[in-house]
Amino acid sequence: MGIVIEKRLTPSISWQVASILLALLASFIISALLLKSAGADLGKAGAALWDGAFGGWRATWKTLVKATPLMLTGVAAAVAFRARIWNIGAEGQLYAGAIFAYWVSLMVGSLPALFLVPLLFAAGAVGGSLYGGLAGYLRARFEVSEVLSTVMLNYIVLYFLSFMLTNPWRDPSSFFQQSPKVVDNSLLPNLMPGTKLHMGFLVALAVVVIVHLVMTRSSLGYEIRAVGLNEKAARFKGIDVKWVTMVVMLISGGIAGIAGVTEVFGVQGRLNPGISVGFGFIGIIIAVLALLNPVAIVFVAILIGGSINGGIKLQVATGVPSTLIDAIQAIILLFYLAAAVLARYKFRIVSNG
Amino acid sequence: MRPVLSVHEVTKKFHQVVANDRVSFDVMPGEIHCLLGENGAGKSTIAECIYGFHRPDGGTISVRSKELDLRSPSDAIRSGIGMVHQHFVLVPSMTVLENIVIGTEVATAILDMREAAERIAEICRRYNVEMDLNSRVSALTVGQQQWVEIVKALFLGAEILIMDEPTAVLTPQESRRLFAIFREMCESGMSIILISHKLDEVMQSDRVTVLRKGKKVGTVETRASSKSELTNMMVGREIDLGAPRPRGVIGSPMIELHGLCAQGDLGTPALNGMTLTVHRGEIVGIAGVAGNGQKELFETLTGVRKATDGRVVFDGKEVTNHSPRDIQKAGMGHIPDDRFSEGLVPDFDIQSNLILGAQREPAFSKMGFLRFDAIRQFARDSIEAFAIKAPSAQTACRTLSGGNAQKVIVAREFAQSTKAILANQPSRGLDIGVIEYMHGRLTDKRDENFAILIASEELDELRSLADRIVVIFKGQIVGEFRHDAVDLERIGLLMAGHTGEAAAKTSVGEA
Amino acid sequence: MGDLFQETILIGIFAATIRIATPLIFAALGELITEKAGILNLGVEGTMLMAAFAGFAGSFVTGNTLAGLALAMVAGGLMAFLMVFMAATLKVEQVVTGLALNMLAAGMSLYLFKVYFETLSLPTAEVMPYLPIPVLADIPWLGPIFFQQKGLTYLAFLMVPAVWFFLYRTKWGLEIRVLGENPKVIDTKGMSVTLRQYGAVILGGVLIGIGGAFVTIGSVVRFVPDITAGRGWLALVIVIAGNWRPAGVLLAALVFAFLDALQLQIQGIGVDLPYQIFLALPYVIAIVLMVAKSRRGRSEAPARLGIPYFRGER
Repeated sequence: MGIVIEKRLTPSISWQVASILLALLASFIISALLLKSAGADLGKAGAALWDGAFGGWRATWKTLVKATPLMLTGVAAAVAFRARIWNIGAEGQLYAGAIFAYWVSLMVGSLPALFLVPLLFAAGAVGGSLYGGLAGYLRARFEVSEVLSTVMLNYIVLYFLSFMLTNPWRDPSSFFQQSPKVVDNSLLPNLMPGTKLHMGFLVALAVVVIVHLVMTRSSLGYEIRAVGLNEKAARFKGIDVKWVTMVVMLISGGIAGIAGVTEVFGVQGRLNPGISVGFGFIGIIIAVLALLNPVAIVFVAILIGGSINGGIKLQVATGVPSTLIDAIQAIILLFYLAAAVLARYKFRIVSNG
Repeated sequence: MRPVLSVHEVTKKFHQVVANDRVSFDVMPGEIHCLLGENGAGKSTIAECIYGFHRPDGGTISVRSKELDLRSPSDAIRSGIGMVHQHFVLVPSMTVLENIVIGTEVATAILDMREAAERIAEICRRYNVEMDLNSRVSALTVGQQQWVEIVKALFLGAEILIMDEPTAVLTPQESRRLFAIFREMCESGMSIILISHKLDEVMQSDRVTVLRKGKKVGTVETRASSKSELTNMMVGREIDLGAPRPRGVIGSPMIELHGLCAQGDLGTPALNGMTLTVHRGEIVGIAGVAGNGQKELFETLTGVRKATDGRVVFDGKEVTNHSPRDIQKAGMGHIPDDRFSEGLVPDFDIQSNLILGAQREPAFSKMGFLRFDAIRQFARDSIEAFAIKAPSAQTACRTLSGGNAQKVIVAREFAQSTKAILANQPSRGLDIGVIEYMHGRLTDKRDENFAILIASEELDELRSLADRIVVIFKGQIVGEFRHDAVDLERIGLLMAGHTGEAAAKTSVGEA
Repeated sequence: MGDLFQETILIGIFAATIRIATPLIFAALGELITEKAGILNLGVEGTMLMAAFAGFAGSFVTGNTLAGLALAMVAGGLMAFLMVFMAATLKVEQVVTGLALNMLAAGMSLYLFKVYFETLSLPTAEVMPYLPIPVLADIPWLGPIFFQQKGLTYLAFLMVPAVWFFLYRTKWGLEIRVLGENPKVIDTKGMSVTLRQYGAVILGGVLIGIGGAFVTIGSVVRFVPDITAGRGWLALVIVIAGNWRPAGVLLAALVFAFLDALQLQIQGIGVDLPYQIFLALPYVIAIVLMVAKSRRGRSEAPARLGIPYFRGER
């Protein structure tokens, strides 16, 4: 007996759905084992997770707030991955956007919110764009692997931020590395009274829609997809691959930079090293789980955002460290990658007799 | 005499496509047995079943009346079966010696290759072939690389040698030499299974088994048969590619190369001062062994590869090192030799592939967004005009056959070009029916006053299609023949780089 | 700055260079073997982190650093097994798999640490002792720089010629190199491509694991989150900068280690520059090295790096 693996000519949709469910199931089993090993009561833990994620209005809007940067970093990763450009630097680009927007906010001082808020979004996009574009340039001009350059840039921007927050931008009244509060006019307006759901959520949704339209319906989106699927043929047919690489990194970095704005001016109200808790990396997981589809990213981001908040509740309620959620996200991704093989390949059992 | 190898009722399916349908034949000791068939007839599949690369879905394979259970090539090797693949399986960056000893019993834990080198030298001496065991494979000619492949098989003790399209890349002289070696091998008791679709070399075998559409048509004694009988068996009808097509009226120069130089992928010179002119209404054929700069020539002409020296003039305008986009816009179409990796985006559907390169043209895009209605209409028209067989315009190109994939490329390039078509190995791997069709379409384009440049390894194809044949060797044009003065023998010598008397350039009279 | 050229300080910098290079050399050699087999394992950082944790845990529980080292090697091998299972058997996109491994390690090591160790107050584990080599250790200059190090450091430097010999002078090394250049050669000789990929990647993972172990039980008594701090990523850069050769890898590792040693020393002296500059410097240098690499002639990068092998695919 042996197993023969054959590539399917077209991926099977039903298996794609099945593979996601399978991955989730397997991940739940592993999560349960991990929880058990920490001595937690499974029922209690599950209830706490749900409670923290979607248990009631308060938990739900908090989840949507958490999902906002995740939608953005997810879309940032998806745009790049479509072109088979492995932008691992959404994390760093998020910080670059935050730093640049914060700097602009210091420069312009207090403007009416009507002008200031759009300006800050633009500044965040520019900052992220420039930082992403740097990696794009290194790849287009010097063939430097964008995987490694973006990882290095992630580290560099964090040290730069740390420098800025220990010196020129330091909040003198605080022991922590953080800036003073930003001016009130720069805070993102609330969408609903009684919540902290801010305008960034709508901006993120708008970005998703725009990216979806551009990727599926525009000439540029066509070129990005062509480069990702067969760079050589694209080049042979006159698509300037270096130009596409640059554009993709500028777009991807810009979107990640907007996430920096939502966190500084929508959530924290100040610049600090904790504005992202790995949003850039979680965005990669979200993009892959959502099959790089912007619309699916919205839903996956909300689920993942919920799981992060659920994890916090879990820690409070049962004492299980919330880092469990980080591990489980990676486990889901691994299981999903493995299970997705079911959709792409056919397994046949053959007898050798 | 008992057969050394018996293939009995072997069936092999891929994705419900039957590649071999109950195929049977015997190979005698000391015999050159030819498997003849069109592309897609199942020759390579049956060979790979014999070599243990594929597992048959039914039937048996026996060596010396002993049924084999072939789980992998190592089982075939143990039974004395060797195979030389059509596309050589070598590591270019390693030495000849390393390539030969990988995975043999002489490769002991700590490599000591002196003994192996002895044995290899001995094999080379027996067949009178010279080979430097310490040179890198990338430095060898195609013919030498093929010999490395053969020695690989002999070194493993092959007694039955499967040769998959061995002469596809050789000059006529090299192929004659190869057959002489085959004869010597057979005299010492070996048997050779020769896979081919070239009738000239098929005629040098002892027996021929003809396959068509995965089924065996019959086995005949070569001496008792004829080319036309074999063709009939292979295709199922009379064909005549040799008939010259009406020549067009040759006009003014369209593509001019002046001393063009370019580098190959490894940074070594690939084009060394190439000078060539293609006129309006003319088909120029480039004859040559693959790897002598054909690919680089087409890529440099289309702007994909950088010219390091020399000039390209297209319709009177300098286009040297212009971008591929500009050159396409100027009216040059390009049909690359590797359909699925250079010509198409296999995961795109047919309609998307048909607009590749034109995605920003007003016909298909407005304000930066694609006009899907126009794209669909264009796809419907192209599918009909070129008889592309596919369920719909939304079918992914990766599911298409080689012939239909090529038709998609040709439809696109014909639509996008206005002055010239470049085609590298346009008929490689296609059925005769599709080849005939392609030739017709290319001739039509010539009659529309296009300049057409075609490189092919099939001299017969060039003879039937080209108004003029030039010979390429090491990145230079070393000979030129008008269609009415084609001398295949001399072309063969020139392809192999023989200078002297044979290389005295045949001058072309003004057309 | 004049202080920098005092003898003891120079010796200190060079000795630190050798020590700091140890995990980089192990990790980069492990990745080198992996990449030679055609598999791009971007999970080096995570593999090191898991191994660093395993080394700490093993040493903490048994009180024996060798047990910790053994556990770290097992952890490295297991992470590599995950990588190669995904890459060679399932043929999943290798870049994404490697990233997933890093995230898995980041979350998992911290979770396990918090569940099992953080309940204790400041858990500390045994650390490997220095092993001065008799006689040699007393040579002026060279002795303190090279011969008053830890066992793993000596091993790291011995591994460089050993890995070279393995790759270029043994049958397994030849087969691994062929995998990275043209796996079909292996396949058509009837040998298993997958089996060899498993061997190479897991062997590489064990080496990366040793590098990870050095970060904890080779250096410090504690485990903290993200203790590998980008060393795994630097190892990937080192393989590129070293042009996929063992000697080149050694050289590139020493460059990074020297920079790190220098910044430690300069900080110690109290030079008036923001410390963040020194911390960011290795990553800047990494980018500079990769740019410089692209301008230098022939790359020895395996031709099939990161591309899954599929029999008879078109």
